Amino acid sequence: MQVAVELFGIPRARAGLSQAAAAGSTLGDVLADLARQFPPLAETCIDGRSLRPGFIVNLSAERFVTSPETPLSEGDTVLLLSLDAGG
Amino acid sequence: MAGDRLRSFLGGSGLGVDILLGEGAAEADPLSADSSLVFVFSPLVGSPLTTSAKFAVVSKSPLTQRINDSLASSGFALAGKKTGHDAILLTGKAPRPTVVVIDDGEVRLEPAGDLWGLTNQAAQDRLRDRLGSDFQVATIGPAGERLVRYATISHDGRHAGRGGSGAVLGAKNIKAIAVRGSQRTPWAHPRELVELAKRLSDKSFGPATAKYRELGTATNLLAFNRLNVLPTRNFQQGSFAGAQAISPEQLSVTRERTRSSCVACTIGCEHLYGMQNGDGKVRLEYENLFAFGPLCGIDDPEIVLQACKRCDELGLDTISAGGTIAFAMECAERDYIDEPWLRFGDGAALLRGLELIVSGQGLGRLLADGSRRMALEVGHDSIKFAPQVKGLEIPGYDPRGLQTMALGFAVGARGADHNRSGAYEVDFSDAVDRRNVGSECVPLAIETENKAALMDSLILCKFLRGVFSDFYAEAAEMLHLVTGWDTSADELRRAAARIVTAKKRFNILAGWTPAEDTLPDRMLRDALPEDARAQLSPGRLAALVEAYNRERGWTREGFIVNEIG
Repeated sequence: MQVAVELFGIPRARAGLSQAAAAGSTLGDVLADLARQFPPLAETCIDGRSLRPGFIVNLSAERFVTSPETPLSEGDTVLLLSLDAGG
Repeated sequence: MAGDRLRSFLGGSGLGVDILLGEGAAEADPLSADSSLVFVFSPLVGSPLTTSAKFAVVSKSPLTQRINDSLASSGFALAGKKTGHDAILLTGKAPRPTVVVIDDGEVRLEPAGDLWGLTNQAAQDRLRDRLGSDFQVATIGPAGERLVRYATISHDGRHAGRGGSGAVLGAKNIKAIAVRGSQRTPWAHPRELVELAKRLSDKSFGPATAKYRELGTATNLLAFNRLNVLPTRNFQQGSFAGAQAISPEQLSVTRERTRSSCVACTIGCEHLYGMQNGDGKVRLEYENLFAFGPLCGIDDPEIVLQACKRCDELGLDTISAGGTIAFAMECAERDYIDEPWLRFGDGAALLRGLELIVSGQGLGRLLADGSRRMALEVGHDSIKFAPQVKGLEIPGYDPRGLQTMALGFAVGARGADHNRSGAYEVDFSDAVDRRNVGSECVPLAIETENKAALMDSLILCKFLRGVFSDFYAEAAEMLHLVTGWDTSADELRRAAARIVTAKKRFNILAGWTPAEDTLPDRMLRDALPEDARAQLSPGRLAALVEAYNRERGWTREGFIVNEIG
């Protein structure tokens, strides 16, 4: 399953783009695919199938998730962003 | 100052509140000669620990009539500590414009007639020309002189920003405080401290601070916009069509950008953007950007930068200035005030509004008092959409979509504030459903509030918080190496709770009532138009507040029944 990915902040800077597509039926699958596509993104934000500390995923502007086993559904959009929101 | 008092309240915000309680400041009018205002340093100031060059300014707020602690950074903290003092307490009122000069152990008052009316930077430059470049100077701008209730105290381009401490100084006829010192505080374990400081600095270069270092806080804008929690047009919406145009990502393409940092900071979060009118560069933070951009419906980055620059010069808190003008824009659009020129999205109107605030004329007189007082003057039940808690304008987090933050705003001792409660961190996690939180969020919100109270008293920058694996234990080690105290993590946890309780005690003495711990009616009645699930209710927020009070060990209404030993 292909899912849409939107990147914000450091993930966007590392990947060099604001939107991408990735394959997978779980969050871990999608993160691993993103890491393959964008090695600089993996260096900072993704460790294997998991998020590195300081980063978080939100699904379709609805809920925040971190578990690699989180199932994804058709039409989900994965928002990858920095965890710290302060400013 | 006695060691046990320092150990109980540390420095910064905590020590400041304790000093003010001892002065009876809670009962005084903050704009009267009876008021007290205190600059407070901390045990860590002057140490090699990154981000520790900070000072707090603590007083009763003329905006909220409650406790106000605002922090700023850089050389003033270092020089002030070197005068040999833990704190500088100002009481009374000078008969004419005055500079307080503290030169090591000597204190003197000098006339400031030639400085009155000058912008912050101009006053600081002139004073250092007069006194010597080794003095560090904190000033008020014209806003503080004219008692704008959200006037700042400025030093080196940074501001003790929220709550109107600049007006408290202005009411005392104090234009500036100049400090110079030569007394270095010895460290208990210097070799180990330097080693720890190096490890902390190394960690501060890591991924936990990359966002601040590489992009700055303004990069929140697009993420918040996507999540529909970006306050827009006076909190009537949670997303802004013009967000991309004013985003730092876009500004980085079209404008020159440079980085800067506070003294003794290795993070370097400040990002300055060039102005197209050739008027130099302006520091842009998320809160400034939100307040002069989406909140006022402005999608022109040049206007936002001009507004930021003007607030720096005049000495205005950007969140309260933007919030009050946005409120006035809505009042004007509803014909509650006869100001047809004042419309959302009109950049010229925003800039005119800023000038009016400091003019004290006409609408400016209302604007200078903040949105709560203005609403009470305007009537029409406009208090229901005045964007404030306890009188302090709400920062850039829509509480309907970030409901742990809603609790943090409601119970905050200085009003709606993102620096005294980091509860948004809970919402930005998988620990809660941010649009439907229950009591599970309460201890998590309290933990962020306690942690903030400790960081504001040590004092360390909150942008470091992600680099600690065991914050309380690591903070105890820092204090031990600097002071020699056998401080433990548990002792610091108690200190954090003690400081939060002291702020509450101040507020109770100042007249706090439980009814204050709430949000504007708009946020308890209307869902965000972009997100029907982002909705609070009076009953749900009240239940959260009650759970918070019980978790604190207070009465269900929020009165203190316990002392923190």
